Amino acid sequence: MTPPRFDAVEEGDDLAPWDRFLAKDDVRAYAHASGSAFPRFTDDAGARKEGLPGMIAPGNMSVGLFAAMLERWGGPGSVSRLGTTFRGLVLPDRTVRLRAVVTQKNERTRSVEVDLWMESDDGERLVIGTATVNLA
Amino acid sequence: MSQVDPKHLGRVFDEAEFGPVSADEIVAYSRSLGETAPCYVEPGPELRGHPTYCVRFRSRKGFPDDFPTHLLGRMSFDAGKDIEFGTPIRPGDMVRVTSSVHEVYEKTGRTGTMTFVVVRFAMTNQRGDHLATIDNRMMFRP
Repeated sequence: MTPPRFDAVEEGDDLAPWDRFLAKDDVRAYAHASGSAFPRFTDDAGARKEGLPGMIAPGNMSVGLFAAMLERWGGPGSVSRLGTTFRGLVLPDRTVRLRAVVTQKNERTRSVEVDLWMESDDGERLVIGTATVNLA
Repeated sequence: MSQVDPKHLGRVFDEAEFGPVSADEIVAYSRSLGETAPCYVEPGPELRGHPTYCVRFRSRKGFPDDFPTHLLGRMSFDAGKDIEFGTPIRPGDMVRVTSSVHEVYEKTGRTGTMTFVVVRFAMTNQRGDHLATIDNRMMFRP
């Protein structure tokens, strides 16, 4: 998809939503690839020993999914800043819903500020954040 | 409020170097996110790390050796992070990480008082290019 031109974007624009099913094997693959293959991210029994309900997705995976979503819109290399707050456990074998909306345009830098959130399939906001995306 | 000696703030407590980064590692990371953009998954001269590939690199210890342990509760959680992205990481890069305590603050919620410690990871490559700055926010509960 061709990234939008800065002039074509308006505050309030929604980015294309992304619903992503996180299989346990997806989470394990991320944990290994990111150097965080700890029991809480790789197996249910190990996670329960840490007091968790079962294995969870690393917070960094949510950050990575947000960046991937933003770059699907703005193009590779377009994200210059990404801030996130982890509010709830992201559990695998469920669908998460990633959403984003443009909140501010900066004419001088031709960049936009974006609000982000990740919801569980029952609507709980698990991760929230903001980002800066540079456009042509 | 959390009392932390200002000497802890901004002082580098760990320096570590990782690498060289391999093309296989970059591709595996990108694919694990479902990324399909050729610059992230196809080996070749254009290959570069996905922006958040930088989270793979962190300090070898969590806090300065003399950090006041009473500020760190029994339970800790990753509360979030703020990342400023710089030059993309490429195959063959060495990644140098310097770590410092950036901020310490408290918040009181339904479950009591929580202490937040923000550790900053500043990353450069072998040429001194800025790769990323990550403010990693950890929350501690008594």
